[in-house]
Amino acid sequence: MSITDRKPVRVVVLGGGTAGWMSAAGLAGLLGPLVEVTLVESEDIGIVGVGEATLPHIRGYVERLGIDEAAFMQATHATYKLGIDFRDFGRIGESYVHPFGTFGEEVAGVPFHHYWLEMQRQGRAADIGTYSLGVMAALENKFRPPSADASLTSTYGYAYQFDATLFGPFLREHAKKLGVERVEGKVIEVVRDGASGDVTSLKLESGQSLEGDLFIDCSGFRALMIGGALEEEWEDWSQWLPCDRAAAMPCAHVTQEIQPYTTATAMPAGWRWRIPLQHRIGNGYVFSSSFISEDEACSAIAAAAEGTQLADPRVLRFRAGRRKSSWNRNVIAVGLASGFLEPLESTSIYLTQMAVTYLLELFPIDGKIDPRDRDEFNRLVDMEYDRVRDFLILHYHATERDDSEFWNHVRTMRVPDSLQEKMTLWREAGRVEKYSDGLFYDASWIAVYIGQGLLPERHDPRTRLPDPARIERALGSLQQAIRDQTAAMPGHREFLTARAERLAAVP
Amino acid sequence: MSEPRELPARIVVAGDGPLGVLAAIALRRALPTTELLVLAVAPDPGAFAERIGTALPFTNRLHDRLQVSEDELVRQAGASHRLVMRYFGGGGPDQQSAAGYGAAVDPAMTTAFAKEWGGGPRNAGTTAPPRSLGEVLAGAGRFAPHSGEPGSPLLDLDYALRWNVPAYRQMLVGMAGQLGIQHARADIRGFMPDVSGGIASLVAEGMGEIAADLFLDCTGSRALLHSYLPEARQIDWHDMHPTRRIAIAEAGRPMLALEDRATLTPLGWRWELAGRDGLQSILGVAGDAGDEAIHAALGAPPAQIVPFSPGRAEAAWLGNVVALGDAAARIEPFGGIAQDLAHRQLALLLELLPGRTVDASERAEYNRRAAMMADRAADWIAVHYAAPAAAKAFPGLQQSPELARMLDQFVRRSRTPIAEDSPMLVQEWGAMLQALGMPSGESLLSAAASGDGSETGRAFAQKAEAALAAAPPYGEWMERML
Repeated sequence: MSITDRKPVRVVVLGGGTAGWMSAAGLAGLLGPLVEVTLVESEDIGIVGVGEATLPHIRGYVERLGIDEAAFMQATHATYKLGIDFRDFGRIGESYVHPFGTFGEEVAGVPFHHYWLEMQRQGRAADIGTYSLGVMAALENKFRPPSADASLTSTYGYAYQFDATLFGPFLREHAKKLGVERVEGKVIEVVRDGASGDVTSLKLESGQSLEGDLFIDCSGFRALMIGGALEEEWEDWSQWLPCDRAAAMPCAHVTQEIQPYTTATAMPAGWRWRIPLQHRIGNGYVFSSSFISEDEACSAIAAAAEGTQLADPRVLRFRAGRRKSSWNRNVIAVGLASGFLEPLESTSIYLTQMAVTYLLELFPIDGKIDPRDRDEFNRLVDMEYDRVRDFLILHYHATERDDSEFWNHVRTMRVPDSLQEKMTLWREAGRVEKYSDGLFYDASWIAVYIGQGLLPERHDPRTRLPDPARIERALGSLQQAIRDQTAAMPGHREFLTARAERLAAVP
Repeated sequence: MSEPRELPARIVVAGDGPLGVLAAIALRRALPTTELLVLAVAPDPGAFAERIGTALPFTNRLHDRLQVSEDELVRQAGASHRLVMRYFGGGGPDQQSAAGYGAAVDPAMTTAFAKEWGGGPRNAGTTAPPRSLGEVLAGAGRFAPHSGEPGSPLLDLDYALRWNVPAYRQMLVGMAGQLGIQHARADIRGFMPDVSGGIASLVAEGMGEIAADLFLDCTGSRALLHSYLPEARQIDWHDMHPTRRIAIAEAGRPMLALEDRATLTPLGWRWELAGRDGLQSILGVAGDAGDEAIHAALGAPPAQIVPFSPGRAEAAWLGNVVALGDAAARIEPFGGIAQDLAHRQLALLLELLPGRTVDASERAEYNRRAAMMADRAADWIAVHYAAPAAAKAFPGLQQSPELARMLDQFVRRSRTPIAEDSPMLVQEWGAMLQALGMPSGESLLSAAASGDGSETGRAFAQKAEAALAAAPPYGEWMERML
């Protein structure tokens, strides 16, 4: 059938936050004439929009939709991000950077970190971060995009730190150009077919009825369709990830330089973020209400954040977990309606993007849902969530902190078996469990294990083979090369300023 | 404080076929101070690796890493290059199509979607290629392996090798000798168990007890060491793979070709490898066909008919014994998949190389990944019997959930899901499924993409032209090499 003969599939997106507009723009942009996308949102309903830090994958989304990077950065007040600086997680006073990049290179088939462990044992190695260009560039507030060759300058990646409340509206303009129809209004009823149970339309306060073949639930935590109408079960993960609130508060910049990284600092009942954007710094305390009250948390973030407060702390409530099935009948939940994992590793927008990607790959042909596509979508979404979940739990569990009830709880809790196995393999043999799909590969696990003081008991026997003086020299020249490369990079602000088309007007 | 583990003092490799010798070379390179003994045992009547010399592109990378030079393989071991496997009859009597190797086998570049979008090794919605660079070059008889020079139009092209097995083994034995690897011939008379489910020593005829920290079982399908262990259990693949015998013809006339062929016969798939030492024809035989039928399907009188029982060890690494190759998984030796699997097992062992003692967690990790590798290799074989005409001829075969999912997705949507520890890239799977005559469904993303594809077509034609101009006639290149 030629593409013009087909009846477009009517897609109704509920919710105009980041997930809603990412879904609408993605579907309209890449399925074009095969879909007819309507998005309903209400100006009276706020969006969460705290996902201010992203992962490198976002670049793929922006490029694939043909969005100009400069326009996107300008509209969202974006800065570049090379990684996350974690402070006080393993122990108070200690910190490490989890870069979008690697540490050293493997030699003779043995990963770098084994040689580093051996040299460290002999007192001949510096902090592992000094062997990562991504880490060192971040800490020196330098930025330049990586090279495309196989040299040292290709060993890191980058993402953005941006104002998530501006990302949705930016995509809205783009999506409208792609033909997405925006409807203003509040949904008062999810209408379902009595026989099939499928959702047939959304009834609005205005009396308008939005009919569709496929419904994308981007209504955030309210999950009006997937949770409300379809009562899809929620798998609760709060026993492992007890944080259920965030107190968010923007502040003015205090320094000239803009850090090309996000900072996550452990707090007595959670942790706080610090995300430098072009004009301000986003701050927030992610905490567990079982261990601290909202008022106390708001005072704590106000006391901890540097710079002039630009607004009072705003409290957001959430819970960790995901739907048993994110795609149920003809409703697909994307974003917070589908699941929530706290922003410790900036995975929120990534998980949304992945859901949109899988939906595009598995989009119902001629609007007819095949259960096998639905199962495949749910399998892939579950895998993404589960892998991120284990990695987040590690940040809490791999700690020596015993200075608060909260840290005592997460330090001693029983973790999922899938994580326990990974940690045992690391502890016994210094090895990282491998997988080829999903998020967070070897370097990420190594950064957190070592950064939080979880060292293996033993490392690869082959590290005994080379002359230690030779390894030491190799480590030294890598460090020097990284210092040289870092020195040659422009400062982050300097890099941005030289590309004024990326900068928003000063408010 | 993390301590380095003790290096293994001694490792015994049982079996001196090509895999045993290659494993010993790999261990010598990785552990120069460890004493290595290769123990030759009586040859395995079912060891196909001894006869069928071909693999997939992964092996080229492993050889390179172990300093087994490709040029020397061409000079000393009769090696030649396969750019495509051409399949006949998977989709019906008149259907034929070729499948190549590498991420760029898909000239339509629909997979670019996944790459650009995800930025990593992600799922791809593939439309199987109507043509590939490999097919163009194989058709023109032009090829030379590129030397990695940037900008070479042959850079994206991957290939597999085929070689003469005795010459290949001889070359490896020569290397092993130069590397000081001990080699002894003695039958195994018994074992002394250790306390942790492994072997403390083995008793060899005329040599007494031989103790070691680690034993590699490369003794072929008999798995002489592994099968001795009390925990050894097998997973049966009889319900997935129909082949019960393998018929091998006398070598035919020498050939120089860039393509090999696989043809569906009433008894199973016949594989023809264009060896410089002679055309090699082998046939997987299902059921209880007589000699005449086998002769007809093989296209030549069978020189040998060997019984075959597909399956794998539940856990290839038990105690301090690691089974490799046929000892770990008995997989039809077709199209290079069996050698490919053996070589990826060896690479996995190098990655997770233990110290003097074995940790339970790394053994578990090895077994987890080796099992996935073996299962995906089993899927590779099973795909051939899922081709439309094959499925009619061999009904009722089971499929793993992963294979069923891949076939379903391909047939309905032209999508090949990514699988962990798979022998092939999603693009290569897509190309193979298409060559096997699998109908492929519509990819909505391709359908919705702007343009009619003529631009991609033009770009491919340009690439093909550049590749043809850069590659000499294969025979000419071969002459220069020799």
